[in-house]
Formats: sequence, structure tokens, C-alpha cells
Amino acid sequence: MAATSDATVDPTDGATRRDAVEWRPSRGKVGVASLIAMESFFFGTFIVAFLFYIGKDVHGPTGATALDVGPVIVWSICLLSSSATVVAAVKALARGAKAAFEFWMGATLLLGGAFVYGTAVEWRGLMLDHELFISTNLFGSTYYGLVGFHAFHVVLGLLALGMIWTLSKLGHLRAVDAEKVELVSWYWHFVDVVWIFVFTSVYLFGTGIL
Amino acid sequence: MTTLPTTPAETVADRRAEPLSARLHLWAITVDHKRLGIMYVLSGLVFFLVGGLEASAMRAQLARPGNDLVSPEVFNQLFTMHGTTMVFLVGMPVLLGMGNYLIPLMIGARDMAFPRLNAFGFWLFLFGGLLLYYSYIGAQGLYGTSAAPDVGWFAYAPLTDRTFSRGNSTDYWILGIMVSGFGSIATGANLVATILCMRCRGMTLMRMPLMAWMMLVVGVLVLTALGPLTAAQVMLLFDRNLGAHFFDPQEGGSAILWQHFFWFFGHPEVYILILPAFGFVSEIVPTFSRKVIFGYPLMVAATVGIGFISLSVWAHHMFAVGLGPVLDAFFSAMTFMIAVPTGIKIFNWIGTMWGGRIRFASPMLFATGFVAMFVIGGLTGIMLAMVPFDWQVSDSYFVVGHFHYVLFGGTIFAIFGALHYWYPKAVGRMLNETIAKWSFWLLFAGFNLTFFPMHISGLLGMPRRIYTFQPDRGLELWNLLSTAGVPLQAAGVLLIVWNLLRSHRKGAIAGNDPWDAWTLEWATTSPPPEHNFDEPPTVGSRRPLWDLKHPEDPDGRYE
Amino acid sequence: MATPDDARETPYARAIPRPTAGPLVAAFGVAMLFAGIVTNVGASVVGAVALVFGGVIWFREVMPDEAVEPIEATGGQTVVTPPPLPARDAPSRRLLLPVEIHPYRAGLVGGLAGGAAMAVVAAAWGLVEHGSVWLPINLLAGAVNPGMAAMGEPELAAFDGGWIAIAVGIHAALSIMTGLLFTVALPMMPRRPMLFGVVVAPVILSSLSWSTMGIVNPAMEEFISWPWFVGSQIAFGAVCGAVISRVEKVPTMAALSTSERLGIEQSEVGS
Ligand SMILES: [Cu+2]
Repeated sequence: MAATSDATVDPTDGATRRDAVEWRPSRGKVGVASLIAMESFFFGTFIVAFLFYIGKDVHGPTGATALDVGPVIVWSICLLSSSATVVAAVKALARGAKAAFEFWMGATLLLGGAFVYGTAVEWRGLMLDHELFISTNLFGSTYYGLVGFHAFHVVLGLLALGMIWTLSKLGHLRAVDAEKVELVSWYWHFVDVVWIFVFTSVYLFGTGIL
Repeated sequence: MTTLPTTPAETVADRRAEPLSARLHLWAITVDHKRLGIMYVLSGLVFFLVGGLEASAMRAQLARPGNDLVSPEVFNQLFTMHGTTMVFLVGMPVLLGMGNYLIPLMIGARDMAFPRLNAFGFWLFLFGGLLLYYSYIGAQGLYGTSAAPDVGWFAYAPLTDRTFSRGNSTDYWILGIMVSGFGSIATGANLVATILCMRCRGMTLMRMPLMAWMMLVVGVLVLTALGPLTAAQVMLLFDRNLGAHFFDPQEGGSAILWQHFFWFFGHPEVYILILPAFGFVSEIVPTFSRKVIFGYPLMVAATVGIGFISLSVWAHHMFAVGLGPVLDAFFSAMTFMIAVPTGIKIFNWIGTMWGGRIRFASPMLFATGFVAMFVIGGLTGIMLAMVPFDWQVSDSYFVVGHFHYVLFGGTIFAIFGALHYWYPKAVGRMLNETIAKWSFWLLFAGFNLTFFPMHISGLLGMPRRIYTFQPDRGLELWNLLSTAGVPLQAAGVLLIVWNLLRSHRKGAIAGNDPWDAWTLEWATTSPPPEHNFDEPPTVGSRRPLWDLKHPEDPDGRYE
Repeated sequence: MATPDDARETPYARAIPRPTAGPLVAAFGVAMLFAGIVTNVGASVVGAVALVFGGVIWFREVMPDEAVEPIEATGGQTVVTPPPLPARDAPSRRLLLPVEIHPYRAGLVGGLAGGAAMAVVAAAWGLVEHGSVWLPINLLAGAVNPGMAAMGEPELAAFDGGWIAIAVGIHAALSIMTGLLFTVALPMMPRRPMLFGVVVAPVILSSLSWSTMGIVNPAMEEFISWPWFVGSQIAFGAVCGAVISRVEKVPTMAALSTSERLGIEQSEVGS
């Protein structure tokens, strides 16, 4: 029995109708949107803490003295452009172009990986050259807390995308799975958007540029 | 036709007639929203008894001035664990569990949107709760002895700092609540997705039972409130374990910021705890008044309104901090504003009862008790929203009396009403009505005897969270009265527990629809089959069972 | 399982999800992972292993397609036919509003009549207790003259035309307003209007006056005799209630639909 062609008796007026299945939003999309909403408030809290504590340190180093915006801009461009490549990947998968999908997904992984590498380099510099640790001062606490959680989310996203890429290489990914991949890409976009806010807070407000 | 990957060898009926261990295994691996809902409610009730014991110990200690039944240290642990337990391990799981059980049935679905995530959420809650209680055995206290958390359920900084809270009991508080919070987040997202995506044919948003609307708003509030709480707890964890300085005033950190973060969660949390109760009452009152709910669209609007406003009133918990006149005035005004949609609901319930043929069966007793007690709690809430008044009574027993009228007289009464209302659906047997009425009146009398005098002792100057008080301050009588209510409440609660247990075997067979109700869950058998409905239902109005029973006068015409 | 057609179907329309231990194991893993922070690293290691293990079980349940099992029909018993119900004794009560009320004119007349009765009682009090009918009148006027609280009894007991005019004005206005309130409130107690007039209303009004008198009229507060005051309220309620409940009721438009109220549709009620 195909549900789409059911004739039903409308209890309101007793008339027989042949109505299509009523539209409902996709549960996957609503679920991922809910997760993103929750995560926004999570990051929002860390951003508020960071902004609130700018200039409240009793001793250095602070964002103005320790952060170097130049390289971060490069790594940021990597991360933000990976939003575009993941869109290309999803579109390729939906039309069944497997090779194109793997190419664009691979590019996304590389760009995301580059960003994580950039963060690692930056942290190394902060720890070795500026002796900034999470326990050093308020700036250390809020900076490592905020940027660290963002990096953690990037890594989670990379794991998910990497798994999809591997499944595709192993031949387990079908065109119908494009919707699931799209949901993961929503998460990836979210991580990118959060970075825009983190970047503005930490590298523009936090360094005194703005 | 499509093929379904199935496990034909092991079907539903095969699994039912198996030995105890196998049946327990079934409960452990279940993803069925009904089983999970029952497990939520049962474990919530167990925690409720534990939290009640903690409260009784505190009342016994405060029965007379200068008592030394428990030490100050133990008293601090008692109020911390009582508050934490009742909010995170009783209120949230029981309410979310009831939503879990009822929402798919009410909207004509076979299960929640994400059944496995649903199971994950339940187990996270349970393990989180166990982790918190393991602190009684495992945590290191001040002198290296085992100790439960003792920093209050709000864990104000800088009390939670390593300097002031030695050992790791505060870490247990953070981690236990955080883990069970992950579970709440999962369930919140699940509720939102279920209500938006899993409605049966004809179930438009404006035909949903009001309870579904309330749970939708609760789901959204869980998503918005639990994120900041988790973030703040992570910061505190970093402070305590990695030497960070988020809330460390010595390094320029701000103790007030913790309060902002905590209450940004804490106030919506109050509505997470009360909105489902509103939902239960909105289902029970029409059924037992034999009338449709009064002003359905307005109820929906009020629910959504409460959801929005509840996100911008948090600092009314912080008036005594000294936020300055502008912030005080803003949060005071917002708090007054939230009384409007809440008042609308009260009037709509009364409007539903007005002129109805009211049957005072036990669910209705609890529901009317809820309305009366919640009004008292709401009114004292408005008093507390006035900044100058709040300055006078902040952190006094007046506040304790206020929020117990909201959360006990409100939420817990509604939960018991809901238990009495839906127990026949979940178990297939009726509760004993005589026992139910005894338990209601005992609980009602005991509740008022305990919590009403708290308003007076609070106004007389009795502070919260002190383990004893001085004689000759006029506080003896009120404290004694508060303690005297405890045995009555305990008797009421134990009667309910006994009723739940005995009726499981001895109760009268309920049949599908014992209350002659109108929402979809009463259309299926009691208890419902694993798949809820043989055929997915189709509805044409807000009261599908009315339509079924009165084909000559369908409801859709009037909506 | 998913074909383009099915994609639009409600999930689990034809099957229910299969039980799995994945979530339980994963949740245990999460709890242990965090418990390790306060116990020892071993717990975290166990937790991490359990988390990965549970995650894999879970993943295999939903990928590539969700594992489900068929619905076992329970023999058509599930969806009920409605239980036999006792016949409903009244038309359905979706909406209950007073469909008939007393006309406002009745409130006007009743208020004035009640006010007169009240004035008689008040004058009697003045005569019996203070030997002057002017005292209660002057005291009532004290509501607009706070200075009166400082006056002595001889002054207050003397005749003064201006004060009488003010007092009569206040008394008439209050009586009419209360009378109108009576017309609105009485239909809500359709069976016992006199109960409302003689008991309920006097109690409410007296307690209102008692709690606010000190602010509204300090002069009267000083002299007032509460038994007489309550007596005058009862006199008002009895007369006002009696007058109003004798007047024929008129139908309201509350029971009419919007279009009928606008006159677009004609109906029996009200014509
Ligand atoms: Cu609040």
C-alpha cells in the first residue's frame, strides 16, 4: 500500500479526499539545526567571557602584545574557503559524480587540516616565545578556552568528513547519501561561521585593532 | 514496494515471554520511546525519594534552634545535593521522560525522531546522576574524607575556587551535571525534531495537543539554556584543574560573570521545569471539565511568549549583587512582563473549568491543586521582582517558600497529576482512587504546612542555607511548623509510591480510554503496542477522539 | 529502503527501529571518560574504549540504512471504536457566558435606592451615637478634605451646606458605580441574588474599606464604628440586590457569532 495515493475520509466533513502525504520538515535537518543552535549558545558564552575580560588582566602577556594577526588571516582564508569546496562536494555527490566528489572533499580536508596546523603553530609560538599558558592570566584562559574549543570542533568536523571520504573511497557511498553528507556540511559551515566571530573577537577586538 | 532490512528471527512477540535476565536486557537495549519514558520516570522517582530524604534531614535539623543533629558541613552538602538532585535528576528527567512517552503517541507517530539518540540521552542522564552520587563515596573532601559537593546548586564563584573548595567534590558536581546535561540536550533536540517532523496526517501545528506545544518550547529552551551552562562548567573545570582564571578575582576574573552565566541557564531552567507541568494541566483540566480548552490559540501564543521572555529575565536572581539601577529596572520590568502570559494561562484553565461538569478524580485534584499553589508561587514571584522588596528578602526563607510553591506546589503536583492520569495508559491498570485521594490531601496539607510558614520566617529574617538559628528571634514556631509538615508529605509520597506498585498487579483493568479523553494516545491499547498504532492515524481537529465518538458533531467546524 | 517516493513519507510509517546496545555503551563511555578526571586515568581509558565501541555499534545500526523491524499488527485491536458513553444530558458546552444580564438601568436605580438605605442607617448612627445627623455627612466629605482629620467633634457635628453637597455627590457616584457592579456580578450567582447582596458584597466592600480607610479618609477612620458601617453596607446590598433582581433580564450578544453581531446575519436572539 503506497501511502502517497491513499484516499482518506476527512473527519471534519466526511468527504473523501485523495491527499498527498503532508509536508513535514526533514528530521535530519531539524536535528542538525538544533545542534547548531545549542552550539551557538555554547560558543557565545566563551566569546562573551573573552570580550568581557579584555583589558582586565593584572599582568601580561595580552592579545595586543602576543598575537600576530598576519598568519592567522592566511589560515582563516583556508578555513573559510573550505566552506565553498564542501558545497561543491555535496553537489557532485548528488549528481553522482564520484570522482569530483572525492576531489572536492579531499580539498576540504586539506584546507581544514591546514587551519588546524596553523593553530598548532600559533600555540607553539605563544607557549615558547611568550610563555602564555591557560594558567598564565585571564587572556591565556579565555584565549585558549575559546580558540581551543573552536579547534576541537574543527577536528571533530574533519573526522566526520574524513570518514565520509574514506567510505567513498571504499565504495560505500551512494548518491542517495548526499542528504546525509549535506547535513555534515551544515555543521562544517557552522564551524566556519563561528570562526568569523572568534576571529573578530580575538584578533580584532582582542588585539586592539578594533 | 521496497524491501526492509529486518531481523525476522527475533520479533517482538518472541522477546516478550522470556526470563527476567532476558527481559532486563531488553530494557537495556531498547530504543522504544515508551520504555525509555518509563525508565526516565522511574529513575526520576528514585532520585525524588533520595532528594526528599535530604530535605527531611534538613528540616529535622531546623526543627528547633541550636539543634545538632547534623554538622554544618553535612548541612551544606544536604542543601547542595537536595537542590541539584531535584532540579537535574528529578525535574528534568521526569518531565522530559513524560514528554518522551507521550509526545509520539499524542501526535500519532511511531517513535521519536531519533530513537537511538533518545536512548543515549536517557543513559547519559542516569550515568551522570550516578556519577554525582558517587561523590558520597569517592570524592575527596576538605580533610581527605569522602564528601558530597557543598557549594550550593548554583555553585557561586569564588566559593568553587580551588582555594575555598578543597578536594574534588565540586568537580563531581561539575562532571555529574555536565554528563546528564548532554543527555538533556540530546532529548531537547529530539523533542523539537519529533514535534516538527513526525506529526501524523492532519496533525497541523495548530491541531497539536497543547502539551506538544509546551514540549516544543521546552525543547528550544533546553537547547538555548544548557549550552551556556555547559560552557560555564567547562570554564570552572579549567579553573579548578588546569589553573585557569575565569572566575578568579585575584587574577582579575569576575565572580559576577559566573552568576550571569549560571542564571542565564537558571531562569530558562525554571520554565523548562514548569512548562511541561502547564502541558499536563492543559490536558487534564479539559478532560475532567468535559470542555475544550479555553482559548487554545492564546495558550499557544502565551507559551511561545514565555519562551522568549524567559531568556531575558535572568538577572532578577542577582538584584542583591548591585547591578546598578538601569539593569535592575530592565530585569524587573521583564520579570513583570512574563507574568502576563503566565496569567493568561491561569485564566484559561479557570475559563475551561468554568461551567464545565467537573469530575474530581485524582488527576483533576492534583491539577486544581497545581493551579492554586502555582498562583501563590507566581504572586510571591511578582513580589520578588520588585527590586527594593527583593533586597529585603533576598536569600531568606521567603524565597525558599516562593520557589517551592512554584516547583513543588507547581511542578511536582502537576507531575503527580500526570502520573495518575496516564498511569492507566502506560500500565493498563487503574490506580486505586481512594489511596490516590488520601495521598493528595496528605501531600496538600503537608506541603502548605511546610512551605507557607517559610514566607513568614523569611520576612522575620531567617536566612537560607544556615544550619541552625538563634532562639528568641521569633523563628521557633515557624520552623517547627515547617518541620511538622514533613511527615505528612512523606506519608503522601509513600502512599503514591505504594499505589503505583500495588496497582501494577491489582489495579482494575483500564481499557483504552478510561477517562473518556480526546487526544490520540487514548485511541490505542493500554499499554500501547511497540508500534503505537496499527495504522498511522489521521486527524481532523484538535480532539480526534471526540470526532471518533461524535461523528455527528465533529470538532473541526468550531476551530 | 529510501526511494524518491519514500523520502517524503513519515519516518517509521511501516517499520520501527531495532533495539541496539550502542547508545547504552556509548553513554557509559562518555560518563567514564569524564569520571576519569576525578578518579584515575584508567577510567578515562575504559570510557574512551567504550565510547568508540558503542559508537561503532550505533554507526552500523544507521549506516548505510537504518535497521528496522516489521510492525506486528495486533489483530486490529489497536485503534478503538469509542467506548459506550452515557448520553450527554446537555448540548455541548464549548462556551459558557451569561446570555442574559440585568439592564444597566437596573444598576442605576438599584444603586441609588441602596444608597438611600445606606444613608438612613448612617444618619441613624449619627443620631444615636453622637446626637447629630450631620456628622456622618461631614465625615464622608472628609475624603476630599484631609484637613478635616484635625477638626474637633463639635465642628464636625455642625451643619455645613458645602460639605453636604460634596458628600451627596460622593455618595451618589459611589452608589451608582456599585449598583452597576452589582448588575454585572449578579448573573454569575443566578440562583441566590440575595446571598450576594446581603453577605458576599458587604463582606468584600467592608473589608476593602477597612484596609484602605486610613489612607482614603483619615477623618472617618477616627470616628467610624465598624458594626454600624457593616450594617449600612448590608442595608445597601439588600436594597440594591432586591431592586436589581426584580428587574427583567435582557439577552446579551455574547452568544451570537461575529457576523450576527455585525448584523450581517439575522437571528432570533435579541430581536
Ligand atoms: Cu528566575
